[in-house]
Amino acid sequence: MNRITVPIGPQHPLLKEPMAFQLTVEGESVIESTLRLGYVHRGIERLCQERTYVQNIHLVERVCGICSHVHTTTYCQGVEALLGLEVPLRGLYLRTLLCELERIHSHLLWLGVLARNIGFDTIFMYAWRDREIVLDIMEDLSGGRVSHAVNVIGGVRIDLTEEHRDTILSQLDLLDKQVAHLLGIVEHERSLKARTQNIGHLSLEDVRRYCVVGPVARASGLNVDLRRDRPPPPYDRLTFTVPVHEDGDVWARTWVRMRETVESVRLCRQILTLLPDGPVAARARRRVPAGEVISRSEAPRGEVIYYIRSDGSDIPARVKIRTPTLTSLITLPTQLEGVNMADVSVVLAGVDLCIACADR
Amino acid sequence: MALINLLFFPGFTFLFMCALFFEWLDRRIIARFQERVGPPWFQPLADFIKLLAKEDIVPSGAHAKAAALLPMFSLTAVLTAGLYVPVGNVVTASFEGDLIVVLFLLSLPALGYFLAGWTSVGVYSLIGGHRSLLQYFSYEVPFLMAVASPAILSGSWRIASIAAYQSQTTWGALMQPLGFILAIIGLIGKLKRDPLDIPKAKSEVVAGSLTDFSGRKIALWHLSIYIQTVVGIFLLVNLFLGGSSHQSLFVALPIFGLKALGILILLSMISVLYARLRIDQLANLGWRVLAPLALIQLLVTIWSGG
Amino acid sequence: MSNVKFNLEALLAAWQRAFPKLKLTMETLPLDEVVVAFPPEYLVPAVCVLTEQFNVRHLSTITGDDTGEGIALLYHFWSGSGLTLRTRLPYDALHIPSLTGIIPGAVFYEREAAEMLGVIFEGHPAPQPLLMPDDWEGEHPLRASAEDR
Repeated sequence: MNRITVPIGPQHPLLKEPMAFQLTVEGESVIESTLRLGYVHRGIERLCQERTYVQNIHLVERVCGICSHVHTTTYCQGVEALLGLEVPLRGLYLRTLLCELERIHSHLLWLGVLARNIGFDTIFMYAWRDREIVLDIMEDLSGGRVSHAVNVIGGVRIDLTEEHRDTILSQLDLLDKQVAHLLGIVEHERSLKARTQNIGHLSLEDVRRYCVVGPVARASGLNVDLRRDRPPPPYDRLTFTVPVHEDGDVWARTWVRMRETVESVRLCRQILTLLPDGPVAARARRRVPAGEVISRSEAPRGEVIYYIRSDGSDIPARVKIRTPTLTSLITLPTQLEGVNMADVSVVLAGVDLCIACADR
Repeated sequence: MALINLLFFPGFTFLFMCALFFEWLDRRIIARFQERVGPPWFQPLADFIKLLAKEDIVPSGAHAKAAALLPMFSLTAVLTAGLYVPVGNVVTASFEGDLIVVLFLLSLPALGYFLAGWTSVGVYSLIGGHRSLLQYFSYEVPFLMAVASPAILSGSWRIASIAAYQSQTTWGALMQPLGFILAIIGLIGKLKRDPLDIPKAKSEVVAGSLTDFSGRKIALWHLSIYIQTVVGIFLLVNLFLGGSSHQSLFVALPIFGLKALGILILLSMISVLYARLRIDQLANLGWRVLAPLALIQLLVTIWSGG
Repeated sequence: MSNVKFNLEALLAAWQRAFPKLKLTMETLPLDEVVVAFPPEYLVPAVCVLTEQFNVRHLSTITGDDTGEGIALLYHFWSGSGLTLRTRLPYDALHIPSLTGIIPGAVFYEREAAEMLGVIFEGHPAPQPLLMPDDWEGEHPLRASAEDR
């Protein structure tokens, strides 16, 4: 049979962001694949070295369009550590509330994309309809649906009234019901399983070799979650479980993400009930003492790591950002080898690509 | 009279209107199931006119004549098929064996679709064309066997006679529920509707064979697919739901219309309910499940009826 | 990535055993991150000790940093707790052996450090740019001396 090269990207209906694949296809099965990144490289790391610490909050928020809040959280956490600043507990709770809302939003969005890619438009519409609830909550809280600009160095810039808290709790009730329904579909719908099981398989050993993080790693049986393994406050006071699955295929990833969504709704509820009184932010100096810091947190897609070096001025000397997508991109050639052409879209959806994150 | 039949009712104009209406209703039903609003009633017509007015591009290297002729070829085939399918009690043309002609004409668009992929230059078109042929072999055999059963039962290969036989006895769908289900699945495959839209799966092969088509040509392709939907549904109404042979046109036509809408709603529901199959899963389904079932159905029919 | 915490004292002792001539320096950064410095030629053996004896195999990323006196490379590991190996390369010898043989996950991080700072990773299987255009000419963008455009 003759081989043909199928280009996927830089522009393709299956990709939401520009990246390029060259698939060598024999019949309907993929022989090999090569990957090219960099179409949305914006030079954010360099740009960070030319802006002040405060300006950089808004810059790192734009690393990712979906998990924007976790980037500012990780960045602020690092800078606060450098400053030796004690962040008020209420500020930390509100920060975490948005992190968890963002996780729900990210996972529901992802479920929609996966459903779209397997030709299951109904789930796509349902998932995005339910995601709208989270977006509404976030909009009411911060004024932004995906870019919130909530974090400041020393805390957050938003606060919550009693009434507002009750409104959110009632919105979470509805969300709870919808997410349970979606989880039921993922667990039982046979045509969805037929398209996602035994596809894009990654063994535990592969995950270790390629240093994969987040739901992709957890779906292959690696029990890691920075929220539990090194809980930044207030995670140490909240109870939640970390779903882990052994199968390592796209369906396992779907299951892990939907279970995580359920857990996140639970976490949001706990945060709102336990929310302590007090100020939401501490005052921070503009100049940051010289030093270095490594800040990690668990984004919807896995571990985000920031390295920040300060030379004592109000501008960082180096900001290094590693986003979780980059780790799963390394595994794509392994996952794509030998799969049916029709499953390429499923495999790509399964790792939850965020190209803007990877390119920075 | 023949000219009126050919051009207006139940010929081109009627089929065209039906195609637009069915397309709208289909999109609307699916939208409501998915908690969307759906398009306004004139959207299919607006889309059609807009596409007619758009620039028509043929990529260099593609076969320009084939690109121009194939959509017309498909459209002609399905319109001709429409002439032999009775609508209500109106029969434009009919002869013993017209069922076979209709089935042949309805499968021509699949050939056109494959050739469209073969004569274009893009890889997506090529893969789409390949897939459409594979899909054709999976659904066509069970479909043919399923629609042969009512013909055997009524002892005639004339669509009008089959419908008349059923309106005197009972509906084919009740006597042969299995055959009806198989025919519906076959029709979904024929029309490349969800969940069997494998040759034109957006996230896999962009638009399949039609990726490189634009303007007038894509408008004609879409029209031919929707007229095929209408004719296919009408055919099943005649073969499995007893058609409608009431004396008065004004009674026969609404009854026929309601039955056709019933099948359309069924098709829309199925497309909402399932994820798209992979081509090998379809081939498995077609040859391991549908074809044996259709064969059993056929043998039982021959044994009991013949 | 693993949540099994390594024993820091045992690790330092193992390194000291493996490289008796070396004087290990360790510092603790805020947020509980440990940084140990190695000369460039010791880096790969040090990582070998880490992976083979302590099963610390999760490389979070490699940070390349132009400090003005040279290029610092920081290899951030995680195993229940953060650990970073730091090495400094002088501008006139920007070579370091590639880690990809031990940790395949380092492929992208090394490519990025190479194109951004001009470090050459010896033995890297596919050393083309990761994010920059293939025909990029000019200075490495994260060098302190790189001009703003």
